Amino acid sequence: MSLLLEIITPEKIVYKDEVDEVIIPTVNGEIAVLPHHVNLLSQIIPGELIIKKGEKTESIAITGGFLDVNKNGVSILADYAIKAGEIEVAKAKEAQERAERLMREKSTEKDFRIAEAELRKAILELRVATKHKRRLV
Amino acid sequence: MANILSLKRRINSAKNVSKTTHVMQMIAASKLKKAQDAALSSRPYVEKLTQLSKTLSNKLEEEDIHDYMKTDSTAKSTLLIVLAPDKGLCGGLVSNLARELLQFDSHEKEVKYITVGKKIESLVSSLGKDISAAFPFGTRLPSFDFIYPIAALVNDYFLGKKVKNVKILSTVFSSLFMQTPRISTLLPIELPNDNVLPLKSDFTLFEPNSSYLLPFLLKHYLEMSIYQHLLESYVSEQAARMIAMQSATDNALEIASDLKLEYNKQRQEKITNEILDIGSASFAINYE
Repeated sequence: MSLLLEIITPEKIVYKDEVDEVIIPTVNGEIAVLPHHVNLLSQIIPGELIIKKGEKTESIAITGGFLDVNKNGVSILADYAIKAGEIEVAKAKEAQERAERLMREKSTEKDFRIAEAELRKAILELRVATKHKRRLV
Repeated sequence: MANILSLKRRINSAKNVSKTTHVMQMIAASKLKKAQDAALSSRPYVEKLTQLSKTLSNKLEEEDIHDYMKTDSTAKSTLLIVLAPDKGLCGGLVSNLARELLQFDSHEKEVKYITVGKKIESLVSSLGKDISAAFPFGTRLPSFDFIYPIAALVNDYFLGKKVKNVKILSTVFSSLFMQTPRISTLLPIELPNDNVLPLKSDFTLFEPNSSYLLPFLLKHYLEMSIYQHLLESYVSEQAARMIAMQSATDNALEIASDLKLEYNKQRQEKITNEILDIGSASFAINYE
């Protein structure tokens, strides 16, 4: 018996597969969802989502969103999600630098907020990517 | 002689026009493809979000209902968001929108406007209506950031009880050849109800709790539905422009070929006249 995991963002369906276990960062802390989990609705905070399938584990960097567990199906609605293997470290670093520079320069509140969100995303991507690499080595 | 020259000039300009419109048609076609992909790929997300919001609001007690869903506001006016392109040259799209807007305006008493797109902004301001905010639409695929200021305004007006409801006028994309303007209600939120009552045994856990989750979910739902309208308006605009430019190209080519026919006739006439001249001149010389 396995879980059907779906990760959907406004851009595309990032992940859709049967998995054994999934560990999700929520407002109440990290939770692990196994098959036959009780129906659950919760909010996701930015962090790393870990998928276990047989021997393999996979990481996905995720910014906020919602989690819905329903009859052995896990649906995750994320604002943005990217698989660890697909993160381009150079690009994320560049984004981090750009966001930091913008935060120093820009004075309007809106620009600052956008830059801050970009920065958070970049840092998160970098964190997940480095962890993923260490695991591969 | 002068006539032939001017004909030639007109042929050239008609051909140039057809080139320009053809390029515009191609640009619109490529933009349309991208926009359609974007609109399609966000569909599963929206469906899931609707489903979640429905699940959650079904489980709520009467007193827990969020402000977004309340209908008993004392305010009289309506906030209308109008989505229209920045640029013309897209057939009847803008005028259809304008007609719908005028019709709506005539039977609603107090309407405040938020306009997106310069075309409709100038119309509304020339009517002397109350514009709360005006945004440019831009000529590129609108990004998600675009809707934050609009959503903030909508929140301000609706939650501040300045308006009784929020409606949006946008163009619905039915096919490449059909884009119809339509007004739909954004707030208060009415979740599509399929009359299926959730089973009692369908126990769901909410973490931390449902009244904490609902505001986030509904806010997101609102933002997503504005974005969806925006995307669809953009798709419609590009489709309308593509078709309009295609017929403009056809017309320009037709004019060019008509003119070409006229030009050839005149050229031949001129040559015939010249031959006649030469002929009669040589005849006159021989006669002597």
